[in-house]
Amino acid sequence: MPGILVIGEVAGGRLLPASLEAAAAGAALARALNEPLFGALAGHGHDGLDSAAETFAAGFATLYLAGHASLQNYSAHAHVSAAQVVIKTCSPSVVLCPHTLRAREWVPCLAAALDTGLVMDCTSLAIEGTQLVAYKPVHGGGVVGEFVVHGMPRIVTLRSGACARGTAAPNTQVERVSVNAPEDERVTLIEEIAAPASSGPKLADAKIVVSGGRGLSSPDNWHYIDEAAAALGAAVGCSRPVADSGWVKSTHQVGLSGSNINADLYIAVGISGAVQHLAGINSSAIVAAINTDAQADIFTRANYGVVGDYREVLPAFVEQVRKLKG
Amino acid sequence: MNIVVTVKQVADPNIPPSHIQLDADAKRIISPFGIAPVMNGYDANALEEALRLRDAHGGKVTVISLGEETGRDTLKRAVSMGANTAVLLSDPAWLHADSASIGQLIAAGIRKSGPFDLVLCGRQASDTDGGQVLHWIAHHLDLAVVTPVTKIEAVEADALTVHRLTDDGAQRITVRLPALLGVSSEMNEPRLPSMRGLMSAGRAMIPAWKKNDLAIELSAPRVALRKLAIQIRTSKAEMIPGSTGAEQGAALADKLREQGLI
Ligand SMILES: Cc1cc2nc3c(=O)[nH]c(=O)nc-3n(C[C@H](O)[C@H](O)[C@H](O)COP(=O)(O)OP(=O)(O)OC[C@H]3O[C@@H](n4cnc5c(N)ncnc54)[C@H](O)[C@@H]3O)c2cc1C
Ligand SMILES: Nc1ncnc2c1ncn2[C@@H]1O[C@H](COP(=O)(O)O)[C@@H](O)[C@H]1O
Repeated sequence: MPGILVIGEVAGGRLLPASLEAAAAGAALARALNEPLFGALAGHGHDGLDSAAETFAAGFATLYLAGHASLQNYSAHAHVSAAQVVIKTCSPSVVLCPHTLRAREWVPCLAAALDTGLVMDCTSLAIEGTQLVAYKPVHGGGVVGEFVVHGMPRIVTLRSGACARGTAAPNTQVERVSVNAPEDERVTLIEEIAAPASSGPKLADAKIVVSGGRGLSSPDNWHYIDEAAAALGAAVGCSRPVADSGWVKSTHQVGLSGSNINADLYIAVGISGAVQHLAGINSSAIVAAINTDAQADIFTRANYGVVGDYREVLPAFVEQVRKLKG
Repeated sequence: MNIVVTVKQVADPNIPPSHIQLDADAKRIISPFGIAPVMNGYDANALEEALRLRDAHGGKVTVISLGEETGRDTLKRAVSMGANTAVLLSDPAWLHADSASIGQLIAAGIRKSGPFDLVLCGRQASDTDGGQVLHWIAHHLDLAVVTPVTKIEAVEADALTVHRLTDDGAQRITVRLPALLGVSSEMNEPRLPSMRGLMSAGRAMIPAWKKNDLAIELSAPRVALRKLAIQIRTSKAEMIPGSTGAEQGAALADKLREQGLI
């Protein structure tokens, strides 16, 4: 009996919440195919995985923990080796992972190594008979493609926010597997460069995000965004041109090639609303937009719109927010 | 340093969903009349970096593209930017090839085009948003992949030091050559064609290699596209009134408060 394998992601000893969304999507596939549900985590040493494993409680028949010293810092090679060991152990018919920057690098390496079908950044999955159908936005997000995935196992990565987390359920058993991957001598990590710690919440976890775009016209005006974020206790986001020009670090970029946000409220300032940008805003977020152009596309996604110059609108907004919050 | 850059011709990513057209099978995006297809943006960044590396360290830059005959325009653009050699891979048999097969074919084209030290690809194509053809190319050429790369910091005879974007910062990595990198847009600003480049592009002979030239039998697709569907948003925002920007700003805060959002 094959099964559905959900490979969660651990960063800094913590389970990435999107892993639980992938587990919920995996559970739905397992029910539709009447196959068991397996989970896996890869990381540095078995002990390092234990606390992440506790939070990865999604009712797995078996949760596999692949611990190895080479997994202390992320490397594609070590992740592919770990996944291959687990796949050998449980021979799944489908493998699911959350779609992160890491996954964008190592998951296609795994697919190529196994010579099997992969669709990344899916927003929905369906089973038709025994076929796996993956829905994935293409062309920036204005078009959705419907793909039939073939091969053994079939592999998909899931966009964060595409599937709601299920309720926590204990795993039946936990099994440690050993990874004995020789190092890849072609790629050597020199150092991890952490993004400078910002005072507010992290982009991916924040309930409110204030995001600035090219409409701010210069990095000298970025303080408008920082001030609004500080007043709201929000995280700071940006559009791609802002990150490309180096006004702020790429880790703040929201969108198709940046982060997915999970916020309840997203405030877009001087952002036109290109499909590639909107791809990063979860569908449940309330969007407020400030833009001088009444025809800007952002107003077709926004719930609340202000047609105006942010230099006039934002300071008054911030002042009123401070008053309201007392 | 001999560098191969893969460049894909794509429908302009700035075409809004309301203007996108699909072919009769709903399997391909066709560029609306008057909006020419373009070089994939990340591939333009990859080409720009290849040209800079060549100019600093010698060698040559080969660009390679798989697609229809119209792909020649994109290859000519690459030559006008400064690429030395261009190759088109084009055969009707490849029209519906999946990422795995496209990667296998491009890898064969790269092999046939001669020895190389470095392959630069875009981190993803803006029409597929796939982000996997580069891995299949690397697999078939037996190269290590690093992606998305935002900076090439140092160049030695047999290795590069690069910055790879991570979810919480970056990794500084040394990668031995030959290797394949997926280039991200932070890396550079692609140049415009020069006058001299435009003249070389006019003269450039671009061979088109077909099925027989690559001698590859494709296996069954690992992923089959069933159909594409256009998604158009039609909702309208509630506009916040006010006679001055300041009034609107305060009213927006009140509105968000009233809705329990702040
Ligand atoms: C493959 C691919 C991936 C991409 N990934 C991403 C991604 O992840 N994230 C992303 O954001 N983009 C992404 N893009 C780029 C995207 O297509 C757009 O180019 C980008 O989002 C535009 O950024 P912007 O809205 O800040 O700039 P612009 O489109 O230039 O918009 C600026 C806006 O500011 C307004 N404005 C000007 N002055 C003022 C003022 N004083 N007050 C208020 N408003 C003002 C203007 O009216 C305009 O609407 C991607 C593109 C491709 C091809
Ligand atoms: N048909 C093609 N011709 C040339 N290069 C391609 C082609 N398809 C993909 N690539 C390269 O592979 C990268 C990733 O493509 P994709 O997997 O489709 O997102 C692109 O940025 C290109 O550099």
